[in-house]
Amino acid sequence: MKVDVFKEVGENCITLEDGHKIYDMIHSELSSGNNVELDFENVKIFASPFFNSAIGRLLKDFKPEDLNRLLKITNITSTGMSVLRRVIENAKEYYSNPEMRKAVDDVLLEQSESL
Amino acid sequence: MLVLNVPTINDDLSDFDKLFELWNQANDDNMNVTFDFSRCGFMKQNAVAFLGGLARLITARSGNVIFNWDTMREDIRTNLGKSGFLNIFGHVSSVWTGNTIPYREDLTFNTTIVVNYLKSYWLGRGWVHVSPLLRDAIVGRVWEIYANAFEHSQSYVGIFSCGQHYPRQHNLALTVVDFGVGIPSNVRMFVRNQDVPANKALQWAFKRGTSTKPTGTSRGMGLDLLKDFVKINKGRLEIFSHEGYALITEAQEDFMNRDSFFEGTLVNITLQCDESYYRLSSEVVDEPIF
Repeated sequence: MKVDVFKEVGENCITLEDGHKIYDMIHSELSSGNNVELDFENVKIFASPFFNSAIGRLLKDFKPEDLNRLLKITNITSTGMSVLRRVIENAKEYYSNPEMRKAVDDVLLEQSESL
Repeated sequence: MLVLNVPTINDDLSDFDKLFELWNQANDDNMNVTFDFSRCGFMKQNAVAFLGGLARLITARSGNVIFNWDTMREDIRTNLGKSGFLNIFGHVSSVWTGNTIPYREDLTFNTTIVVNYLKSYWLGRGWVHVSPLLRDAIVGRVWEIYANAFEHSQSYVGIFSCGQHYPRQHNLALTVVDFGVGIPSNVRMFVRNQDVPANKALQWAFKRGTSTKPTGTSRGMGLDLLKDFVKINKGRLEIFSHEGYALITEAQEDFMNRDSFFEGTLVNITLQCDESYYRLSSEVVDEPIF
C-alpha cells in the first residue's frame, strides 16, 4: 500500500487530527503484515503532533523491527525526518517503559518537596 | 472608570512586569477601563499582543474598554495602524501596507490561517533571507507554540500574537499570549500536586515526552523541539506563566520564579534572520528509523 500523504492532508503535516487520519489508513495494513509506503512528496511543514498520532503510537502495537521492515518513509525533507526521528525516539521510550511518565512525575514531586 | 497608564514597553524583564501589572489592575469582572498612552514612548510586539488580549479579556468579563487614541504618539499610532491593531479595535486608520507584521487574534484554531500568517506575514515578506526549506522548518517549530496554546491554555478569549522584524539587530520576534489557566496550573493538575513551584512546572513542560494531556499516546516534544531549535539558531525563548519564567538561549536554560504573576502564558521568541545559524542536517532515509 502506498499513501500519498500530500493528497490526504496537504502540504502541512502538523496536527493530531491529520495524524489520526494517516494512522487509521495504515494501521490495519500493517496489522495484516502488508508493506506500507508513506510518500511525503510535496509536504513542506512538519510538527510533532502529526507524527505522534500518525506514527509514534504505532509503537504501542508493533515492534520496532517489524515497523522497519513494513513501513517505508519516502520523499521526506530533512527537517521532517529530524522531527520524525525525535518522535520515534520518544515513543519507543514511552511504550517500552510504562513507568517513564511516573518517573518524570516523581522527580518533579521530589523537587517540589525539597524546596 | 479605571485608567490604565500604558508605559513605554521594551522587552526586558521589567517590561513584562509592567504588562502583568496592567493585567493585575484590570483582572476583575465588570471593569470599565481606559487605556491612556501619554506616558508611552515606545511599544514592542509583546505589548501589542498583550494589550489586545487584555482588552478582549476585559470585555469578555462584561467590562468596557476605551483606547484613548488621542494620548498616543503619532509614530506609535502609525505602527499600530500598520499592524491592523487600530482597525481591529475600531479606530479608523489607513489600510495595512507597511512592513509591520500584523497583530492577530485567534479565537478558534485554524491551522491553515496560522501557518499562512507565519509563512507569509512573519517570515515571508522579503526581510528574512532564508531558503524555502529553512522557512518551512521555522514555521513548523514556531507553530508548536500556537498548538500548545490552543491545546492546553483553556483561554476563552483566544490566542493573541504579534510579530516584529528588527532590521538593525537582524532578528525576528514573535509574542504569543493567552489568558488561560497557565502552564503551572495544568502541570499541577496532571501530577496531582498543587505544591509544585511554577518554575519546576515549566521545567517539567520542557522535558521530552511530557504532556499534560493523558491520551495514552506519547506526546509532548513541542517545547523540547522548539528549545533545541532556538539553541541552534542562537535565538532566545522566554515563557512567562504564573510566577514562573523560562529562559532558553544557546548558553542558558533557566527556570526561575519571579515576583510578578500572570495567570495565562506569554511566549516571546526571537530568532536570527540568517541561514548560517542553522544546521539542517541531511538525513539518510534508508537507515532504519524505528
